[in-house]
Amino acid sequence: MDIRFENAGVDYGIRTALVPLSLTLQEHRIGVIGLNGSGKTTFARLINGLVKPTTGRIVVDGLDTVSDAGAVLGKVGYIFQSPQNQIILPIVRDDIAYGLKARGYDKSRIEAAVDGILDRFGVRHLAARRAHELSGGELQMAALCSVLVTGPDILILDEPTNQLDLRNRALVQKTMATLPENVIVISHDLPLLEDFERVLVFDQGRLVVDAPAAAAIARYKEMAA
Amino acid sequence: MQTLHVDVDTWLHRLTPRVKLLALAALGVVLFLTQSVPLLACANLVGAGLYFRAGLSIRDALRRLRPILISIAVLAVFAALVGPLHAAIVTALRLTALALFAATVTATTSTAAFIDEITALAMPVEKVSPLKAADIGLAIGLVIRFVPEILDRYQAIREAHQARGIKVRLVTTLAPLIILTLRDADNIAAAIDARGIRRQ
Repeated sequence: MDIRFENAGVDYGIRTALVPLSLTLQEHRIGVIGLNGSGKTTFARLINGLVKPTTGRIVVDGLDTVSDAGAVLGKVGYIFQSPQNQIILPIVRDDIAYGLKARGYDKSRIEAAVDGILDRFGVRHLAARRAHELSGGELQMAALCSVLVTGPDILILDEPTNQLDLRNRALVQKTMATLPENVIVISHDLPLLEDFERVLVFDQGRLVVDAPAAAAIARYKEMAA
Repeated sequence: MQTLHVDVDTWLHRLTPRVKLLALAALGVVLFLTQSVPLLACANLVGAGLYFRAGLSIRDALRRLRPILISIAVLAVFAALVGPLHAAIVTALRLTALALFAATVTATTSTAAFIDEITALAMPVEKVSPLKAADIGLAIGLVIRFVPEILDRYQAIREAHQARGIKVRLVTTLAPLIILTLRDADNIAAAIDARGIRRQ
């Protein structure tokens, strides 16, 4: 993975969501923390092109997030804060298949890919379940499958443990630890990020700390105190 | 996310979505061509017979129909006030029959099947316009997906009013309902884009 921010920023005129910054992300697991409204979600959404920079540019593995938007979306998967908003079809299997169907895959390839992703995470039992009947952790797993089935190299998770009980949080943490994909996690759940290679701290739209997890988290705690 | 589809196996479920949708369209045309009260009453009986065999409990079946039946009743009362009674009765029977048939199709067809079928039926549109058939299928699928969500949200807003001892009024429930619905619509649109569904 090679994500380059080249003086990239977002200014909505009445407020600056992200002060222009330049950095390169190559680590396997990167955490993003900051107080509410600090710009961390804008930062993450810039990476998959959901938000366009008003200055500078972002390059993901050689692809510009604006001019190569379609290819970038295929490369960067994104799991939102509320996975229930991400799940389009009511039945888990149908929803996982939908992203592949939209890409024009044939039926047998879709079936194989859906079975493959469900088996990879040991959640074949969720296939026929209705999304609204799932627990928070199961919903996260369903969202994870629906995104990873399309084969992105990079996965962004926005508050993946938000509103989860301890058991479901442990499930999500365990799953994240085993993902071979590069992972960028936005979270207020600091213990979740403790063993990450790199953590970025945002404050008022500005990147203020960029350090290994222990140092960044300690600094963030000082800032928030 | 809830669904309007009832996951049981009846002969109505086994009919292909295309047959159901085309039959619904044909019935819609026939219902609007006739002014006969006995014929429209028969259509209501047939519609009710099918709807109550779609696998729903009586309570759920009635709960689903309540909002549309209230709307039809309001419309019929208004029509009776401003026009002949016969026209009001015809309007009410016509719309009720259509609602029953449409609710039957919705209850017996999964959202995925709906999207696939609408997409297939919309393919000719793609050839003569810039619209994409997949987008039309997705849009209709999302409407079906949203209905129970909006009803749940309305219920939550009602309960919040009651918990605070505030009288539930249309004007005070409508604004938060619209805002919450639009916010969720934004999030869902972002998720659709993030999953690359519309850009392929």
